[in-house]
Amino acid sequence: MNGRRISYFEASARMRLSGLVDAGSFSEFCPPEMRQTSPHLAQLGAPQAFDDGVVVGRASLAGHAVLIAAQEGRFIGGSVGEVHGAKICGLLDKAMVERPAAVLLLVDSGGVRLHEANAGLIAISEIMRAVLQVQAAGIPVFALVGGSCGAFGGMGIVTRLCAEVVMSEQGRLGLSGPEVIETVKGVEEFDSRDRALVWRITGGKLRRALGDATRLVDDLIPAFRAAAADLIERYQTHPLTPAHLDTLLDEQARLAARSERFASARDGLEIWQAAAFADASQVPELTVEEFNLQLGEPA
Amino acid sequence: MTTKCWDTRARNRAERLARAASFTAGRIVSSEHIVALLEAVIEPGDRVCIEGNNQKQADFLARSLVKTDPARVRELHLVQSVLALPEHIDLIERGQVSLIDFSFSGPQANRLARLVESGKITIGAIHTYLELFARYFVDLTPRVALIAAQAADRDGNLYTGPNTEDTPAIVEATAFKGGIVIAQVNEIVDKLPRVDIPADWVNFVIQAPTPHYIEPLFTRDPALITEIQVLMGMIAIKGLYAEYGITRLNHGIGFDTAAIELLLPTYAADLGLKGKICTHWALNPHPTLIPAIEAGFVESVHSFGSEVGMERYTAARPDIFFVGQDGSMRSNRAFCQAAGHYACDLFIGSTLQIDLQGNSSTATKGRIAGFGGAPNMGADARGRRHASPAWLRAGREGRGNIAMPRGQKLVVQIVETFREHMQPTFVERLDAWDLAATANMELPPVMIYGEDLTHIITEEGIANLLMCTTPQEREQAIRGVAGYTPVGMARDLRMVANLRDRGIIRRPEDLGIRKRDATRDLLAARSIKDLVHISGGLYDPPKQFRNW
Repeated sequence: MNGRRISYFEASARMRLSGLVDAGSFSEFCPPEMRQTSPHLAQLGAPQAFDDGVVVGRASLAGHAVLIAAQEGRFIGGSVGEVHGAKICGLLDKAMVERPAAVLLLVDSGGVRLHEANAGLIAISEIMRAVLQVQAAGIPVFALVGGSCGAFGGMGIVTRLCAEVVMSEQGRLGLSGPEVIETVKGVEEFDSRDRALVWRITGGKLRRALGDATRLVDDLIPAFRAAAADLIERYQTHPLTPAHLDTLLDEQARLAARSERFASARDGLEIWQAAAFADASQVPELTVEEFNLQLGEPA
Repeated sequence: MTTKCWDTRARNRAERLARAASFTAGRIVSSEHIVALLEAVIEPGDRVCIEGNNQKQADFLARSLVKTDPARVRELHLVQSVLALPEHIDLIERGQVSLIDFSFSGPQANRLARLVESGKITIGAIHTYLELFARYFVDLTPRVALIAAQAADRDGNLYTGPNTEDTPAIVEATAFKGGIVIAQVNEIVDKLPRVDIPADWVNFVIQAPTPHYIEPLFTRDPALITEIQVLMGMIAIKGLYAEYGITRLNHGIGFDTAAIELLLPTYAADLGLKGKICTHWALNPHPTLIPAIEAGFVESVHSFGSEVGMERYTAARPDIFFVGQDGSMRSNRAFCQAAGHYACDLFIGSTLQIDLQGNSSTATKGRIAGFGGAPNMGADARGRRHASPAWLRAGREGRGNIAMPRGQKLVVQIVETFREHMQPTFVERLDAWDLAATANMELPPVMIYGEDLTHIITEEGIANLLMCTTPQEREQAIRGVAGYTPVGMARDLRMVANLRDRGIIRRPEDLGIRKRDATRDLLAARSIKDLVHISGGLYDPPKQFRNW
């Protein structure tokens, strides 16, 4: 449709999923009609979802077989409970058998579901282990982050374990969310209601400038699809190989140096300045295309 | 034989100016003398206008007036379009005001209602803007006008900038009828970009310590537009704009009409309507109109006032907006109200309550909010004598085949059946009746009378009130689009079905609109930032609308 642009940020998990993969190629595992709901939420008398807030299944993307999970941020903040986590874990286990071209995690989550406490924490650690196992077997896992809940808590860690992190400007990535930091450390530490500050610190542009995200794309489902398809092609020609210890040590040294360099930074602006943007104060205004150009990436 | 004196007002003005001469030299007055100046030139019982527009406020002069001695500055008759600042009401509470005539009191509506109920103030009348401006030239001419401008030169010429608004109407009435004009300006410069008010209409100029306040009243964040509003926008575009070929129009402020503006470059363009609808506007520079302008939908926009952040954009689009040779926009509320009344074929806006006759009101008990400009936009212009296809068609539908051909303006209310807190929009009896009783008003404050209303759009569809032949049909047409409100539930199913068969009620599906297509993805911009990008960086939104 003329000028119709489908926002990834505003779409539901199922809309993202169906717009991302080849039309009609998706088949769902554990679909809602199986009603695999959370036993913990039932005990608490809390509302449940027949898919427990995550959609998992098999599809093709630009003709390549993929396994794919999409978290629904509108159901308890995309939080990971026991069933939710088991579905993602099961998907990753299946990758070891089916060997798809890639596993796609459409992350939209604040982390562990607090109602499910230990079961959720265990689920997150199982997902982390599974991601590493799948990638050790040469299958890349991509995290796509552009939903309203971002990728926080345990899902923030899972996201950084992935071989590629595709973000939009609207996407956010971090460990403790802004509200958590404010609650624990006080509003002087982080004013979670200052939306501009929250985005300058956790948003896609900062994460891309820091290298936590490997691609920055427009907030459009087709833009995420194009990036994912392009990455799959790249891993087809340059397969993922297990990292050598030296590479990992180098990466750790790089991160340690980064952490030290920006230890006193209070705002994303300071990091954009250091990242040699022509005018750091203008970075929030840049289009994705302009941003990527200034970062030295071909559009 | 005594000779009649014909220049008492001019002599009186000279006396007032003489009293001020001791601490003024020429027109420029230091801000520390402002209270003394006001006490010198204002006499008890004066009719005073403190320029309080929809947006721009002479706030420094209002604050200063509150500091004057109530023994000297008293029994004032305030005649101004908007009572927006707390100081306007403070002045009443201090007992310095005996009578007010105004148009709109939005932010102060509660305090004003309490003062009226306790008998501390008498309201002469609540007007529309155009009506009050008209009375400035008949029986409500101000004696002292306290106005606001962007800049003055050393001679006292004024530059208003894009927010010209009410200033020309106020100054013209005051300056030419023996009155005194005092202007607060943000800066005094050697050379003005242009002269909006000539110096010899102005008596005193004061540089205010802080720039005058301007309210960004017309900015609607696209992120807050709901899918129901998208649906209603699609209904308006396909069922009304396309149907009647609406090229000249005015939009109210609200998310419903913002949705229509954002659907023009997408949904309306897909329907092939570019160049056929929405080409000429009487409208403030709404940021949500940027995508339609950039897409080439819009040919002309004349504005009542400006909008904060739109200065560079309007200046860069002089083919579209009214822009001076200096390169900045000029607005004029009086002319734009006239344009909206006489030169537009359609008005569409939102409201809080609609009754079974189609009368609508934004009045609620305990608030005297007034009218603003909507009643002039939302009324048939009975003095209109030029024809247009849309106007003629509405006339045929409304008046039938009577001997004398005559058109009618399309006046549309676009509302959800329930507003916030699940309050039904459709009611048997308007709250305006209760307000009129408690505030001793002669007229219940009705924003748009049922006899002027031609269409109602809700998420349930369109009711075409023009084609209703009896009051009973009209009532059922209104009930028929009132959804699950008590008024809607009380509909006569058979009559409503009959109205639908005759095309008086049209559901989305009757118009070929699938409700599931009504998603936010149809909006040409979904955030303030999208608007900035679409404007090529020319739109500079105020801080409260930024999340970056």
